[in-house]
Formats: sequence, C-alpha cells, structure tokens
Amino acid sequence: MNEILIIARKELLSVVRERRVLFTTLVLPILIMPLLMFGPILLFGNAARQTQESVQKVGVVGVPTVVLEELRKARVEPIEVANPQEAVQNREVQAALVFENGRYIIYGRLSSGATQSALVVEKVQAALRAYKDQVVAEQLRARGIGTDILEPFSVETQDASREQERAAGLFAFLIPFFLVSFIQAGGMPVAVDATAGEKEKGTLEALLAAPVPLIQVLLGKGLAVFVMSLLSTFAAVAGLLLGGGVFRNLFAAQLQAVQNGENQAQLGGALALDPLGYLAILVTAVLFALLIIAIMISLGLYARSFKEAQSYLSPLSLVMLIPLLFLQFSDFLKLQDWYFALPLVNVMLALSAIVKGAATATQLLITWASTLAYGALALYLAYRNFQREDVVFRN
Amino acid sequence: MIEVVNLQKSYQKLQAVKGISFSVQPGEVYGLLGPNGAGKTTTLRMLATLLKPTGGSAKVAGFDVLRQPLEVRRNLGIVNGGMKVYDKLTGYEVLDFFGSFYDLWGPKLKERIAWAAELLHIEPSVLSKQVRQMSTGMQQKIVIARAILHQPQVLLLDEATAGLDVFARRALLDFVKQYAGLGKTLVYSTHVMSEAEEVCDRVGFIDHGLLVFEGSLQEALELGSGNLERAFIRRLEQAA
Repeated sequence: MNEILIIARKELLSVVRERRVLFTTLVLPILIMPLLMFGPILLFGNAARQTQESVQKVGVVGVPTVVLEELRKARVEPIEVANPQEAVQNREVQAALVFENGRYIIYGRLSSGATQSALVVEKVQAALRAYKDQVVAEQLRARGIGTDILEPFSVETQDASREQERAAGLFAFLIPFFLVSFIQAGGMPVAVDATAGEKEKGTLEALLAAPVPLIQVLLGKGLAVFVMSLLSTFAAVAGLLLGGGVFRNLFAAQLQAVQNGENQAQLGGALALDPLGYLAILVTAVLFALLIIAIMISLGLYARSFKEAQSYLSPLSLVMLIPLLFLQFSDFLKLQDWYFALPLVNVMLALSAIVKGAATATQLLITWASTLAYGALALYLAYRNFQREDVVFRN
Repeated sequence: MIEVVNLQKSYQKLQAVKGISFSVQPGEVYGLLGPNGAGKTTTLRMLATLLKPTGGSAKVAGFDVLRQPLEVRRNLGIVNGGMKVYDKLTGYEVLDFFGSFYDLWGPKLKERIAWAAELLHIEPSVLSKQVRQMSTGMQQKIVIARAILHQPQVLLLDEATAGLDVFARRALLDFVKQYAGLGKTLVYSTHVMSEAEEVCDRVGFIDHGLLVFEGSLQEALELGSGNLERAFIRRLEQAA
C-alpha cells in the first residue's frame, strides 16, 4: 500500500510541476464551464433582443399599404425590391414579403439555424398575424358576431415532471456529459505521462528495477490518474455551479431579458438533490473513473510514445458521444433495466436519472455492479499488458 | 555473487541469448564486452529481472531471478545508457522516491544521499535543482546514485558512459573501481575496450548471444598481444 502511495505521489508531483497540465485540467474547466453554459445563451439572447428592438429592412413586392403600415409598427422597414429571393440571398434585406393571388410569401435565410434573418421572418409573421386577427375581428363585427367566438376555450400546458427534473433543466443532460467527459479528459494527460511518457523518456526501466510488485506500480499510477480525473471533474462541476451563479448575478438583466423574450432559452438549471442523490452521483462517477482509467492506462502502456498514446486515447472522446446520443433520445425509449448494464451508456443514463430524481435502486445497482465488473476486467487487462515484455520494452 | 548457467532468451523466432554461463565474485568487476546487438543488454535485463529467461538459470546475491525477483531487485542496482530519471523532480526528490522502496527514510536516507553524492562527486546544492535543469553528465550521476543508494551487493552497468563528457566519464570509471573496492559485485557492459581495460578484473566476449571468450583481463590481453581490442576482434573472427 505504501508503495502505491509513493508512486502516486511522484506522478502527482510531476503534474504539479507541469503548469500547462495543471492549467488545462484544473483551472480551465472552472473558467470555461460558465462560458460554455451561459455564453451562447447570452450572445444569442442579446442578438435576439437587439433584433426585436432595432429596425431591419424587408423587401416587399405587391404588398398592400395597410400591411406595410403593420410592418412598420413591427419595427421593420419595407423596401420595394425587384427580385425578393435574390435580395435575401445577397443580404440586401433580412427577409422579403411578396403578395400575389391572395397569398403572402415570406422569404428568409432559414437553413443555417438561429440567423438574424430567421428572427426578422418571425417579426414579419407576427405582423401578418396581427393584421389577420384585425381583419377577422372587423369582419366578425360587421356580421354582428363577437370576437370571443375565435376562442371558445383556453388551453394551458403545465410541466408535470418531478421537482428535481424541473430544477435540473439542461443539467439533466449536461451533468452526465460533463462528468464523463472531464473524468476522461482530466485523467488523460497523467495517464499518458505515467505510461507511454515514462517509456519514451526512459524512466520506466529504473522504476521496474525497484523491488515493487508490478500490480503496485500499476495501482500507484492508476491512483494518480484517478486523483487528477476527479479533481478536474470537481473543477468542472464547481465551474458549472459557482461560475453559473456568478454569471447569473453579473448578467442578471441580460439573462432576464432573454428569459422574458419571445425566444425563450432554458438557462441551465440547478441541482436539487438530497444527500443520497449527491452520494449516488459520486459513487457512479468514481466507478466510471475506475473503468476509464484502467482503459487509458492499458492503452497508454501499449503505446511507444506520447504521440502514439494520444492517438489511441483521443478516440475515447468520440466513443463518449455514442452514449450521449443514447441519452439525448432516451426519453423516446421505454428504459429497460438491462440498458443499465451497457458500458458507458449505463453511466450516462444513471447520472441523468439521478439528476432528475428518477433513478430506481435496481437501475443504480445494475449500473454500479456492471461498471465495477467492466473496471475490474479493464484493470486485469492493464496488468496483463504491464506483464508483457514486448509491451513494456516496446520502444 | 552472480551465477549464470546456460542462460537463454528467445523472442518468437529470434534467439537473443543462446545459453551463456559465467560467474562474478564479490569485489570483482566483470566486463561483458560485445558489439551492438550481441545480447549484452538482454543478459543484464534478465539478471535485473526485467526480462524473464526462456532457458537456463541465474542467481543474483543468492536469489533466483525467476523465482525470487523482488529479493533480487532488493540486492541489485542497474544503470544503462538510455536510462533516465524523472526530469520534473529535483535530484533529492528522485533519490527520496527510489530510496523509499528500500526502506530508506529520514536521517538514514540523508546519510545515504550524502554518501552517494560524495562517491559520485555531486555537489549537494545540485540536488535541489530539477533534473531537467542539470547537465547530461549530472543527470547520469543521479541515475547512478539512484542505483547505488541502497548499497546493493550487485551493480550492473550497461553502456553507462554513453553520452558522457570526458569529466563525467572519468568520474564514473573512478567510481566503478571504488565501488568494487567496497566488496561489491559489478558487471560492466560496454563496447568501449579502453574502459574495460581500465576497470575490469575479468572479461567475457559476447557475440550473437554466445559467450565466445571468458577469462581474466590478463588472459584477454595476452590473446591480443597486449591489446584488448585486438583480442576482442581476433576472438570474434575465430568464432564466426
């Protein structure tokens, strides 16, 4: 046990001396998480608000004067154009409105997601809707009918999800993804340095010549990777929770404006878990860390150099995307208990369920037991790799 | 102190060591001489339990390399030319790290570090520098200090002067003689004949995994009419 701690301490000391690694694994997550979470929302929110408040040019062809007035009221400036489609394509105008044969056609650049043009199209649609309501109301009045006939009943939608799920918001999706990503990304530099790095630098032979059983060398290195993985993950979660709070205070007005605007954005969320929930997240994350660390060390040992190790380990990040897709569409599936035995997928599903407060004891036990079994298998393979002379002296 | 009997090592189709036997006594420096790829490093790695022999046997300090690897490592130090130590650690931290595997702590560790530093002419102030800030020669001295910190009965040096400047090389050769003078058993593997001539008591010529000559330095010199290099070439040509 003592040797394991001595080796882990040495690995961590090497990391502490490498400021670049310290910055990318511990400092960067704290700084980058609030930016990742709130930056796009603020940016898009501000842009959307400005689009609502400012006046944009809209090309018009054959539009009646009364509709032109409605457009002006909706803060757009109608301009006669010869070819509306071309004018939009060339960005001479943000959108265009054509009236022919009793039909309004709106042109906009809609194929590339959230564009300013799409927001202006919404403004034009709103103006037309307002005009249409006005015309319908006038015609009903002319026939002596009240406008309440248009709304014979009201519709109200209420969120029936659990309190934790409502509070979590985007976190139900982001927490599993970030936990899994940062466990891998935080441990990777140490895993590479402790394995392929030692081989490339010529330090491994001296260590293996010391009177320490191989399994202890392996566990010592694994412990160092584990510590860095968890520290990096805590940094990311701290960045998400604390940084999110700071962001909310600093940009309270802007965020409120985005929330109140027509284009409502979901502003992250908050974890509303009891202590058992937090404990369940910790257990799941720790077990997953054991699995991913054993895989990283096994691959790192096999590599001859830093570069080769990175080329083996980088695809792991892509592998993480597979369960992420699963998680994204999990709501459309009827979750079976055996899904919680699928490697990686189980951890994502379990974490998401814990954050939503929907995890069952069976699901958690299957996740933990299977992840522990996969971790033990990966550790055994790493140990076998370490015993192989053709792997250890492969340089 | 070292007993090697018909030691062999094969890698699938390649037989790197084809059955060599030799023994080295305490206080003796045994020169394992051979061209690149002759099997010197493989032999020493087997003695250090880094590689497992595929045939024969070897005992180091009375312990079998296959059955008692941890005991062998406790009584052995190994240095090779490509061996490095952790460059982000200070010299002291490196020695502290390796010393702790041999139960060297506190005052005992300090005493051993001072002993090794004196033997290898390492200024104590250098030990507080990170290894990456040291010269190549000084880094090699730290590698050697790591290997002798526990005062092993057996020390294996494999091309240990590779890349060293003339001063560092001289210090190392002086150290070899001094360490043997303490009653320790040394194997000095090199392809530089002048070094072997200076420090070795007995030599073995190894080529293509076979020991083609073994005898005292005097016997080897006689074989080459007073020149070890000539003896080496002559014996290898006869064996070919």
